[in-house]
Formats: sequence, C-alpha cells, structure tokens
Amino acid sequence: MDENASARLMRRALTGAHRVGLFLAMLVICLPGIWIVLSSLRPTVEIMAKPPVWIPQQLSFDAYIAMFSGIGKGGIPVLDYFRNSLIISVTSTVIAVAIGMAGGYAFARYRFRGKSGMFLGLMLTRTVPGIALSLPLFFLYVRLGIIDTHIGMILAYVALNVPFTIWLIDGFFRQVPKDLAEAAQIDGCTRWQAFWQVEFPLARPGIASAAIFAFLTCWNEFALASQLTRSVNSKTLPVGLLDYTAEFTIDWRGMCALTVVMIIPALTLTYIVQKHLVGGLTSGAVKG
Amino acid sequence: MRLLKSHPRLRPGWLSRFFHRVPMKGFKPSAPFLLLLPAIVVLAAVVVVPLILSLYSSLTPFRLTRPETFFVFVGFRNYLSILSNADFWWAFGRTVLLLTIALNLEMLLGLGLAMLVEKATRGQRVLRTLMMFPMMFSPILVGFQFKFMFNDNIGLVNNALQSLGITQDAIPWLIEGHLAFIAIGIAEIWSSTSIFAILILAGLLAMPKEPIEAARVDGCTPWQTFRYVIWPFVMPFAYIAMTIRSLDVARAYDIVKIMTDGGPAGRTELLWTLVGRTAYSDARMGLANAMAYFSILLSIAFTIYFYNKLAAARAQIGAEW
Amino acid sequence: MTRLVLGISAGLAGLLLSGAAFSADLPGKFPGVTIDVKLIGGQQYEKLYERIPEWEKATGAKVNILTKKNGFDIDKELKSDIASGSTNWCVGWNHSSFAPQYTGLYTDLSKLLPKEEIDAFVPSTIKAATVDGKLEMLPRAQFDVSALYYQKSLYENADNKAKFKAKYGYDLAPPDTWKQVTDQAEFFANPPNFYGTQFAGKEEAINGRFYEMVVAEGGEYLDKDGKPVFNSEAGIRALDWFVNLYKAKAVPAGTTNYLWDDLGQGFASGTVAINLDWPGWAGFFNDPKSSKVAGNVGVKVAPKGSSGKRTGWSGFHGFSVTGNCPNKEAAASLVWWLTNEESQKLEAAAGPLPTRTAVWDWDLKQAENDPYKNEVLAAFQEEAKHAFAVPQTPEWIEISNAVYPELQAAILGDKTSKQALDEAAAKATQILQDAGKL
Repeated sequence: MDENASARLMRRALTGAHRVGLFLAMLVICLPGIWIVLSSLRPTVEIMAKPPVWIPQQLSFDAYIAMFSGIGKGGIPVLDYFRNSLIISVTSTVIAVAIGMAGGYAFARYRFRGKSGMFLGLMLTRTVPGIALSLPLFFLYVRLGIIDTHIGMILAYVALNVPFTIWLIDGFFRQVPKDLAEAAQIDGCTRWQAFWQVEFPLARPGIASAAIFAFLTCWNEFALASQLTRSVNSKTLPVGLLDYTAEFTIDWRGMCALTVVMIIPALTLTYIVQKHLVGGLTSGAVKG
Repeated sequence: MRLLKSHPRLRPGWLSRFFHRVPMKGFKPSAPFLLLLPAIVVLAAVVVVPLILSLYSSLTPFRLTRPETFFVFVGFRNYLSILSNADFWWAFGRTVLLLTIALNLEMLLGLGLAMLVEKATRGQRVLRTLMMFPMMFSPILVGFQFKFMFNDNIGLVNNALQSLGITQDAIPWLIEGHLAFIAIGIAEIWSSTSIFAILILAGLLAMPKEPIEAARVDGCTPWQTFRYVIWPFVMPFAYIAMTIRSLDVARAYDIVKIMTDGGPAGRTELLWTLVGRTAYSDARMGLANAMAYFSILLSIAFTIYFYNKLAAARAQIGAEW
Repeated sequence: MTRLVLGISAGLAGLLLSGAAFSADLPGKFPGVTIDVKLIGGQQYEKLYERIPEWEKATGAKVNILTKKNGFDIDKELKSDIASGSTNWCVGWNHSSFAPQYTGLYTDLSKLLPKEEIDAFVPSTIKAATVDGKLEMLPRAQFDVSALYYQKSLYENADNKAKFKAKYGYDLAPPDTWKQVTDQAEFFANPPNFYGTQFAGKEEAINGRFYEMVVAEGGEYLDKDGKPVFNSEAGIRALDWFVNLYKAKAVPAGTTNYLWDDLGQGFASGTVAINLDWPGWAGFFNDPKSSKVAGNVGVKVAPKGSSGKRTGWSGFHGFSVTGNCPNKEAAASLVWWLTNEESQKLEAAAGPLPTRTAVWDWDLKQAENDPYKNEVLAAFQEEAKHAFAVPQTPEWIEISNAVYPELQAAILGDKTSKQALDEAAAKATQILQDAGKL
C-alpha cells in the first residue's frame, strides 16, 4: 500500500513538473511574439519608454486603421501584398510537397545506382548561398520576362523547398514497413492504389510537417523576394514590411501591426494542417 | 576528402551511371528516374544555370556598376586574395562556432519541447500550433524586435534587469563581443528551435507505440525507455532537421544583418554579413561570389557529416538504406 | 553596335529638341507615349505619386510603375540592372549619396529642361546633383540635413545653470560649437538613466557623421586629386570627439550599434539631452503619442567645429532619366512635374524639406501660426545654407564600409584614433586604386 501511494505521489509530481515545464516553455516561446502584438496596439511612447511601462495604459487600433487607409495617411497596399503572398506561398507549397512526395518515395522505396550521390546532389543545391543565386537568377528572370511575376516567385520557392521536402518525406516513407504495401499488392491493389491507401496515410505526419515547413519558409522569405519582386504585381508581405521604413525613420508600430496581419493566416493554416501530424501507425485502421 | 571517400557511392562516375541506365533500356525510363524528374527539372532551371553564371563570375573582377568587368577573366585571383584575408577567416571561424553552438542547443531544446508537447494530454492541437509560433515571424521583424529588446538604453532586457534590481548598469548587449554573440544566438535560437521541435514531434508521433509498451512491461525506467527505444527512432529525424537547418541559413542572415550587421568593429562579422555587404553595397560581385563558394565548402562538410550520421543512425535501427 | 548608334542618335534628337524647350511648354503633350518608372516606396515617399495621374491627363502619356520599393533595395535593383544591361526603362529614383555610382545610367537633365526651371532650385542642391558636369537628377522635396534637437527644460533649470557655470565658466545655453556639446553632454549625463548625447554608430551613418566633423574641423576627407586624407590632424580631432564622449560615458554604451531608428527612439524616450538628427523626426519628437519630450523640444542649427565651419552632411532624393530612354523629353517632363512647385508644396506640407527656393518661402509662411514648426523650419533653413554633399566618388559607399569598422574600433578603445585612421585611409586608398582612380 505504501508503495502504491508513493508511486501515485511520484506520478502526480511528474505530471505537475510536466505542466510547469510546458507552461514555462510556452511562455518563453510566446512572450516575444505577444510583445509584438502588444506593440501594434500601443502608442510608440509606451513601447520605447524609460522607465518602462509594463502594463499597457492605452490600447488602440490606430495602426491597423492607418494600414488600410490611403497612401499618405499611413496606408500601404496591404491587400495586394496579402494576395501575392497567399498565391505564391500556397501554390509553391503544394507543388513542392507533390514533387517531394514523388522524390521521397523514389528514395525510400527503390534501389538504384547513384542513389547516395543523387541524394547528396539534391541537398547540395541548397548549400549555395542565396547571395550567389540572387543576381544570376535576376539576370535570367529579366531575360525570360518573368521578373516581378507570381510564376517567377513560385518557381524560385519550389526550388528552395524541394530538397527539404524530399528529404523529410523520404524519412517518413522509410518508417512505413515495406511488407504493408506488398501485402496490399498481393491482395490485388496496384502499386498506385497501395501507395494512396496504405503508404500515404502512414507517411502523413511527414507530409504535414514538410508542408508546414515549406509554407512558413515561403511566407517569410525575404532575400530572394526583395530581388525578384518589384511592384504590387508580386511584392509579398515580408518585402512590404519595409514600406514602414524610410531612409531615417521607422514606424515600428506599423510594422508590428503588419506582422500581426501576416501571422493570422499563418497561424490558421498551421492549425488546420497540424492535425495531420498525428497519423502513422497509431491510427487503428492499419494496426496489426 | 576523407569524408567523401568514406562513401563508396560518392566515387566519380555515379552520375553518368545513374543517367546511363535510362536510355539503354529501349527508352523505358526507370520508375525512380521518373519520380525524381520533376525535382531535377526545377532545380536545374532555378539553381544550376545561375550557379554556373556565379561560379564564372567568381573568376572575374566583376563589379555590378561596371558590367564590362564581367568579361575580364582573372583566374583564381579572388580566391587567392581571400586566402590571405584575415577578416574573412575570422568571419569563417565565427560562423562555424555560431552554427555549432546554436544548432546543438536548438536540437536539444527542440527535442525537449517536442517531448513536452507530445506528453500533454489536453490541448494538443493548440500546443502544437503555439509551438510553431516563432516560425511565423518574418526574420526581418525578429531582427528589429531583438535589436530593440537588447538596446542598452531603452531595451526591454536592460529595463527588466534594472527594475528587478539585478544590475544598475546599462549592459551594452550588442557591443561587447561575447554579449553580442549571445544576443544573436538567443534571437536565432528563439526563431528556429520550433523547426527542430516540429520535425522531431512529427517523428515522435509517427513512432509505433508497441516498443514503448514493451519497454514499460520489461520494467525500463523512463530514462532507459528514452535512451534505448525513443531516441534511436527519433535520431534520424533530428539529423534531418540538423541538416536542413545548417543549410537554411538565410533566416539567420536577416536577423544578424539587422541586429548588428557584423559590428561593432567587426566583432560579430559572420560569413553572410560579409558576403552580403561585399556583393551589393560594395558592388564587388566577383569577390563576393568567390567568398560564397568558399563558404559552400563549409555547408558541404556539414551536410556530408550529418548525412553519414543519418546513415549510421538508420543502420542502428535496422532500416534499410 | 546598333545599340551604340541608336544611343547616339537618341542623344542627338534630345539635344535638338531641347533647344526648343521653354518652361511655358511644360509639361508638354506626349500622346501615346508610355514611360516606365522605378520609384522609391514607403509611406513618406508615396504621397507624391498621387500627382502622376494628373500628369498623364495633362500630357496624354501613360506612366507604368515597374518598381516601387525600399531605397536600399532599389539601389540593389539599379545595380543589377546596370550589370545585366536592362536599362531601357525611363525614369528612376536617385539619391545624392548614390548618384555617383550610377553615372553611366542616367542622362544630363540640363540639356532636356529649360534653364530657368533649373535655376528655381536651391543652387547648392543643383551643384550637389551635378556629377562630372552632368545634372544627374532633379531633387524632390526630400532634402535631408541634420540640426540639433535638445530638451528645452534642461536649459531653463536654474540649478543646472548655476552648476554648469561654476564648472565650465560660461553660461548654459543650447550649444553653438561641438566643444560645448561635449561639455554639456558630460554635464547632463547620468548613466544608465540619462545621457548627454548619442551618435549613429555604424555603416554609412557613422562615416557620414565623421566626414562632416572632419570638414567642421577644417580637414578634408578626399583631397583635390581624390586621395583619402582624413587621417590628418583635423581627422584625428574629429574622431577624438566621438572617442572622448564614449570614454566619458556621456553617450549610451550601445551607440556604436545605433542606426537612425535607435537614435530617434532614444531621443523620443526622453533619456537623451542633445541629439543631432534629421528633419524627418521633427514631427515624431513633438507628438505626445510617440514621444515623451513632446512640447519640450528645441531645435537649433548644427554647431561649429574648431575651424568655425558648421557640420552639414546632407543628401536628397530626386528623379533621373536614363540614357537609354526612348522618350527622353516625356521622361524629363515627368521628372519636372514631380519636382515642380505644386509637387514640392504637397510633399513639404507633410514635413520634409523642399529644394526649391520659392517653396521654402511658402513653407515658412504656412508655419506662421505654429511656433514649433516655425522653429524647426528656421533652424533647418539656416542649416541648409551650410549643407554639403558627400564626396562625389562612385566608391563612396564602398569606402564607408571599409572605414566604419575602424572608426568603431577607435571609439570602443581597441585602437587609438591615429592607428584607426591610418589603417582606414590605407584601405580607402586601396579601394580607389583597385577602381583605377589613383
């Protein structure tokens, strides 16, 4: 009985420690972000104050109202940026994940000569620093006439993400036992059916994490976007952030407000996609 | 070089062998080739052609504002001048140091975070979303945010320390070499730990539950369960995340650029800030590209190192390669 | 070859036509012409672009905005354009500090516009916009030069006055020399809660501040032959000004990492007594929503150095016409339109400083009933008389990047001023030699 009680105590202590740890970790993760959200609602005089003002005294949506007002009243073409960002990020994520699935499957399921080399070759395309890529890419895009277009940006972002999506998805396909798909094929499925009905559901966490990763990379990418976009035709939100800076001045509150506008869709999409992180062998349907 | 040799598949000729088998078989390309074709096409279009151009330009004294210099061939002069450039090698060393420290800390913290979230019984979805919160901030904004937070005069950090009575001084966070390094490290770790956490969490969630049950039945302590059951399974994902992070350095560039831009007096100069400034601000693209190609060596070394680790980790859990 | 011939013939056509251009003809008629433009984006700069549709209406031409982005990104884009030879668009953003880098790109506007129109601008500005005898750009009402902002109450406090007089032997008043700034900054400083002054600490910002101080100390940055000579006695005195303030802890310890945004926020937080800063902050500092010192801000012309010259590093934005533009007269008409009196009034009304003499007078008149704005404008108008641009060399930015780490090293105490400047001068000389200039 004593042993039982102490074990229960132990378990309760562990649960408590877990909760505290989780709470602290979430606090550290969220605080800088929450600070930005708060900054968008407070007058600058409170944000950069000394002595500090810890508890917000006045909150207002002035920065948001200004953002959607016309040029000259503190407005920026936020709707255009938003549309561009959404089109470019979503399209390139979908394409990069599709290519990643094909490539990842090839690496996980087939043996072929030069596999390691091929694999490393793909990764090595990402060792090239952006700076060495951006100017030649600019040359190329100007010649092809796809500078400042959605297509150009999508192409660049797909290339940016493909090596990573392949690698991630490959990692998850490997965890799916080969016998499962083979069993399905013996039961009369084609390889194609076996893939969609057996392997795809099992690799879903990998595909979901690759999608989240790719989407957030595109959504926040700045260096290439600043080189390959020019106007409201294709300028994305991260480039738009700099509309709040002039040569000598900066509208920090406005930048924070735009960031909040950027985070909301990212948060929503992540929330929708993250439920697919659970999958794999825990889902009962395939078990046994 | 030793790294390369350790991999038999990396011997010269693998590429030709790979392509060779395709047309030989009566125009019936192999399945893996077809599956990989889209990736190859996209990467060839977007990466390979620009790569050749920039590799060539690293052999010229190319200045952006004087296009005619693109056609002056100087061989390896840029590379030689880098070899004797102490500033460059300092930046190189600092970059290696920052990458090593930051990536390892991020992996440890990410692992811890992933396990905390995985264990949570309620609010999983919200927790998983919150966990990725920092990934949603544009690195530029993260740079500004941490620059203002670490401002010695009106910054949040010093204000808090002074209010709590921990210090009476204005700590020059972004000035003193080590402190600036720590400040940059904190910003970088804050913004990127999530990436490790999400990738490792996905691995944890994909893990079969039977072995853990079995370990519990066998009377393993939680530590033993972690060390001998969970970790070997998660390790490949950790290495994948590690490689992705070590290659995806653009994120850190924007942060460092805004926080210190390598200063003051070059105390926090990293490869990326140095190359970025040389390329556009100084307009010396040829020299900058030569520096960039030196830094590729670093990335290649990191990639191959983690790749070998990954292969070893997979061999350990008996996965087939 | 064909391009060359085309370029020459286009240039000739421009010459012939310009003979017939009078200000009465402006903006002119250009039906069916499309002008591709690259403009700077950002809140402060975009209000002006509302005037573009009016120009389209008046001339029958169309304006096609290719690019609208942040200044540094436009700089990148222009350089990339030059490098890739894609320069057949027409009107581009320009800045006096960047203009010497783009000399091949833009055409001489004085040949395209009537003289009386050009004479209507402040002469020193036109001089700074002329590179190698070519008028590279027409300045818009975005003129920048720094004046001294200070907290008035500090100077009205009787206790401060008495103590200051006892310690330094002269009356406490807003400073007129940089020596007085040093005295007062040390006097007011009470770290870590309050600082005497602050300065921009990196990139072109510190180099520009150092440059104007060298001039105020009676030295030169580059000599007549373009050789770097800032490691002179005057140069060392100039750098020592920064070094001594830093040593005395009269400036925030983080100042060597500050850029304009940190400086502006610092002064607005009420923790800095004296601040040399740009006109763009005038409204911000006096707005109770953004600044703790609102209502307490004084503005004064920049102080003198030991040579009796005032500091006055200045710069301005403008618009240029490319050499490859197929419709140079239409493009020049658009540039004129965006910098004419109406346009400058529109921009100046929001705070930035004009570059046309007539608009200065109008601006001052508008501010008659606003004592703060009046004080600001008076100070900046006085300061504009002492303004000077950066040395006109395409390597200016590159030299800045080589010099500023050395300046920082001296300020932080890693090197003496002399060591740092000698090394900086050697690097700058090397850059100019590499570029074939020396």
